[in-house]
Amino acid sequence: MDDLRKYAAELLEKGEVAAVIGYQQVSEKRTKPIIAKTAEDCAKLVFNEYCLNNLAVYLTKARVKELRRVNGAVLKLAITAKPCDVHGIVALIQESQLKREDVTIISFNCAGVVKDFGMDFNGETLATKCVPCDTHKPLYSDMVFGEEKETPKVSDEVLAKIESIEKMSAAERFEYFKAEFDKCIKCYACRAACPLCYCQRCITDKTIPRWVESSAHSRGNFSWNVVRAFHLSGRCIGCGECERACPMDIPLSLLNRKMVIEAKEAYSYISGRSLETPTLVGSFDVKDSDELFM
Amino acid sequence: MEEKIISKEDLLNLCKDVIGNGHTLITPGKTEYTVVKDTSEIVLDTTAKPTKASYKTFVFPKAEPVIYYKRGKNDVQLLDVEVEQKKTVILGAKPCDTNSFNILRHLFNWDYKDEFYNVREKQFIVIGLMCNFSDNFCFCTSVGSSPVSDKGADIFLVPLDENNYTLRVVTEKGGEFIKDYSKYLNAGDEAKTKAVTDTVKHPEIAFDSKQVHEWLGTNFENPKWDGVGDLCLSCAQCAFVCPVCHCFDIVDEDYNYTEGRRMKNWDGCQFGHFTLHASGHNPRDIQGKRYRQRVNHKFKYYVDKFGEILCTGCGRCSRGCAVSIDIKEIVSNCKD
Amino acid sequence: MDNIYKPYLAEIAEIIDETPDTRTFKLKLKDPEVAKNFSFKAGQFAEYSVFGEGESTFCIASSPTRTDFLECSFKVYGKVTQALNRLNQGDTIGFRGPYGNHFPLEELKGKNVVFIAGGIGLAPVRCVIDNVLDWRDDYKDVTIIYGARSVGDIVYKQEIAEWKARPDVKTVVTVDPGGETDGWDGEVGFVPTIVEKLAPKAENTFAVICGPPVMIKFTMPVLEKLGFKEENIFTTLENRMKCGLGKCGRCNIGNVYVCKDGPVFNYTQMKERPQEF
Repeated sequence: MDDLRKYAAELLEKGEVAAVIGYQQVSEKRTKPIIAKTAEDCAKLVFNEYCLNNLAVYLTKARVKELRRVNGAVLKLAITAKPCDVHGIVALIQESQLKREDVTIISFNCAGVVKDFGMDFNGETLATKCVPCDTHKPLYSDMVFGEEKETPKVSDEVLAKIESIEKMSAAERFEYFKAEFDKCIKCYACRAACPLCYCQRCITDKTIPRWVESSAHSRGNFSWNVVRAFHLSGRCIGCGECERACPMDIPLSLLNRKMVIEAKEAYSYISGRSLETPTLVGSFDVKDSDELFM
Repeated sequence: MEEKIISKEDLLNLCKDVIGNGHTLITPGKTEYTVVKDTSEIVLDTTAKPTKASYKTFVFPKAEPVIYYKRGKNDVQLLDVEVEQKKTVILGAKPCDTNSFNILRHLFNWDYKDEFYNVREKQFIVIGLMCNFSDNFCFCTSVGSSPVSDKGADIFLVPLDENNYTLRVVTEKGGEFIKDYSKYLNAGDEAKTKAVTDTVKHPEIAFDSKQVHEWLGTNFENPKWDGVGDLCLSCAQCAFVCPVCHCFDIVDEDYNYTEGRRMKNWDGCQFGHFTLHASGHNPRDIQGKRYRQRVNHKFKYYVDKFGEILCTGCGRCSRGCAVSIDIKEIVSNCKD
Repeated sequence: MDNIYKPYLAEIAEIIDETPDTRTFKLKLKDPEVAKNFSFKAGQFAEYSVFGEGESTFCIASSPTRTDFLECSFKVYGKVTQALNRLNQGDTIGFRGPYGNHFPLEELKGKNVVFIAGGIGLAPVRCVIDNVLDWRDDYKDVTIIYGARSVGDIVYKQEIAEWKARPDVKTVVTVDPGGETDGWDGEVGFVPTIVEKLAPKAENTFAVICGPPVMIKFTMPVLEKLGFKEENIFTTLENRMKCGLGKCGRCNIGNVYVCKDGPVFNYTQMKERPQEF
C-alpha cells in the first residue's frame, strides 16, 4: 500500500498528473472513490478486495476532465484500476473518449473482489463478474502493484442462468424479464455507474421525439432496459457496475453477459481488450456474420 | 395508547384474515416491500437490514396516470382516473419508515390537495415493528426518531419472546382496524414491553439537526458542496429509495394515434436536466449545486415550510449509493 | 375525487403570429360554467398543454380586466412549444391555472408606473400594462420602455401601436444597434441605455421589469442610480416547473417555491434569496 501511496504522491508532486482517481477505506470492509489532489489525499489510497467501483466512469465526467487544467497547463489524470477496469479505460480509448497519453494507469494484480461491501473475501462471496474473469494481470498499465494471487474457483452461476433462460420458450423468457424489469424504478443508477454510458444526453432523456417512455411501467421499463442492453452490445466490458448499482436487484449482467458471449461467438470480439483493434460497431468486414444484424 | 399481547401464531392468523377480507397485505422483502399472497412468506425480523426501497411507491407510485385523454379532430375528451379503494395493511415497517407519511402529508396537502396521495394514504394501516438493526448508515436518532419509536405507525409491535408480541394501538385508525381482530388479543404488559425496548441499541446521534438547519441558513455558498459534486454520478438512486423524497415529473404518453394518458412519475433532483430550462439555462447546472439542493431541501427548506425534517434517517440513500456518498457524513459535516 | 392535475379544456379562438418564432393564442375555456367563474390577477401563470406532448408553463398575457379571451404568448423552444406551434385555430389545448401570486396593483394605486421589458419578456408585463391602462385614473404617469433585438423581433405590435396612440402613456420602443430597418422611427440602443436616457423619475414610482437576465442585470444599476428603491421594483420569474402546485420540487429558489410564493417578487425579496436562478 505504501508503494502505491508513494507513487501517486510522486506523480502529483512532479506535476505529471492533476489528480489521482483512487479508492479510500471508509470502514473495515468498505471503500469509496476519492479524487486525490494532494499528497495528503494520496496517503488515504488503498487497494484491496473491497475496491468494487470501476473508477473509469469518472474519466468522462466533465467536472473531472476540468480538473486536468492546472495553471494554464493540461495535465494527465492518474487512475487506479483493477485489470478488469483497465478494459473500461481501453474501451473508452477505442471509442475516442480518451487518449492513452492523457491517463496514467496504476493497476494491480488482482484475484477478485467481493460481491458487496461488508462481506469476508472467500469463494462464496466472490463477485459474479470475477467468476469468469481471465485477466488477473492488467493488459495495459503504467505501473503495477501487488503480488499475483490465486483466484478462488467457483461455479459460474450467471452462465448457468443464461443457459437456463436460453432453454425457455419465448413467452417464458418474456415473462421472466418482464418480472425483473417491472422492479425498475428508472433511477438510472445503472447508466450512471457504467463507464461506457458516457453519452452527454442519453436517448432516454431525449424528448423530441421521445424514443423511450420515461414512466417506470412495464412498457417503459422494457424499452429502457432493452435499449441499454443493445447499446452496450459489443461494448460492455462486463464490470458489473450496473448490476451492483441497481437498488432493485435487477440481474442486468444476464443481459450484458449474454451480449458479450454473442459478440465473441459471432465476431471473435471482446470489448476493451486491445488498443490496436477498432470497436466492434465501428468496423465492418464483408465476411462478418449478418446473423445478429437488426 | 393501549397495549395488548398477541401470539406469533395469532399474528399470522390475523394476517390470514386480512388477506381473506380482501385487503392488501404488504411486508418487507429482500429488495422492496412486497404484497403477501400467502402468510408463509411473512418474516418478521427486527434485525433485518432495511429493504433497499421504501414503501412510498404504494402511496405515491413510481408512475401513475393522472388523466386519460382522447383526441378527436379538434376536440379532446378527458377521462378521470380513479384510485383503487382498497384497505392496505403494511406489516413490519421499521420505525424509520413509519414516520414517512407524517412527513409527506404536508407536501401533498399544502393549499392544493393531491387526492391521488390522500386517498391511498387514508386506506393505509401501518403496523410498525421495533428495530434491532443498526449499521454505519443508520441515523434515525439524529432526526428525532429511534428504533423503538412508534411515530407514524397506527399499530406498533414489540417482540416479547420467541412466541409473543406486544401490540400497541397508537392511532384511532389503528384502534378502529384492530377491533375486527380483537379475538386474537390478550391483556398487555407495559413493564414487559419496556424491558425489551430498553435493551435496544440506538444508533449514535451523528448531528444536531437544529444546528445543521442554522448552518445551512448561512452557508449556501461554501466550498464543501464542490467536493460532494466531484464524486456523485448524478443518478436518482438516493431519491427513489428514499421514503420521503417526492419530486416528480409530469409527462404525456400516447398508446395509439388518438389516446393516451398524462403520467405523474418520480423524478430526482440529482439529474442534470431536472431544472434545465428549454432555453438551455440551468439554475443547478453542476453536481455540487444539486447536492446542496438535496441537503437543503431535507434539512432546511422543508423544515422552514412544514416544520418537519425531510428525512427519516433510514440510511437507504447512502447504503445503496454506487459511490458510497454518505448523507449522514455530509450532514454531520454541515458545521464550521 | 378532486384532481388537481386535471386541466380545463380551451379552444384556440385566434392565433396571432408575433414574430417568426413567437405566437399568441387567444383562448376560450370550453366549459361555459368554468368560463363564467374563472378569474385571475395580473402576474399569475398557467400550465398549457398539448395532449400527447405535455405541459408547459407561461404567464397569462392578457389583462384580467379583459374577459373576452385568455391569452398566452410563447416562443418555440422545446417539445411542448413546438407542438403548440403546430396547432390551428379551433384546436383544443389543456389549461391548468391560474397559479401563483400577482402584482400588487391595488396597493400601488396613486403611483407612477414604469414598465421595462425586453424580447418575449413583454408578455407578463403586457398583462400588467393593460390592467393599469384599464384602471388609468388610479395611476399617475405611465411609461413603457420596450426593447427587442431587431424590428422583426418586436412582439405585440398591435398593442404597442395602441399604447403609442394614447396621449396618457409614454411609450418608447427600442431595438439593439444593428437591429433597425429603413424607416424605423423608434430608438436604437440597449434597454439600459434607453432607461438611462429617459431617466423616469423615481419618486412615488414603481417599476415592473421583465426580460432576458442580461438586460435585467444591466438595467438594475441604472434604476438604482435614478433613485428607485428595491422594494418598488417588481419582476416575475420563470423557473422550470411541472406541477405549478408547489409539489414537484423543481422551481424552488431556497425555501421559496416560485410557483406558489412567486412568480412575482420585488428586488428586496430577490436579494434575500440564495442566488440560484
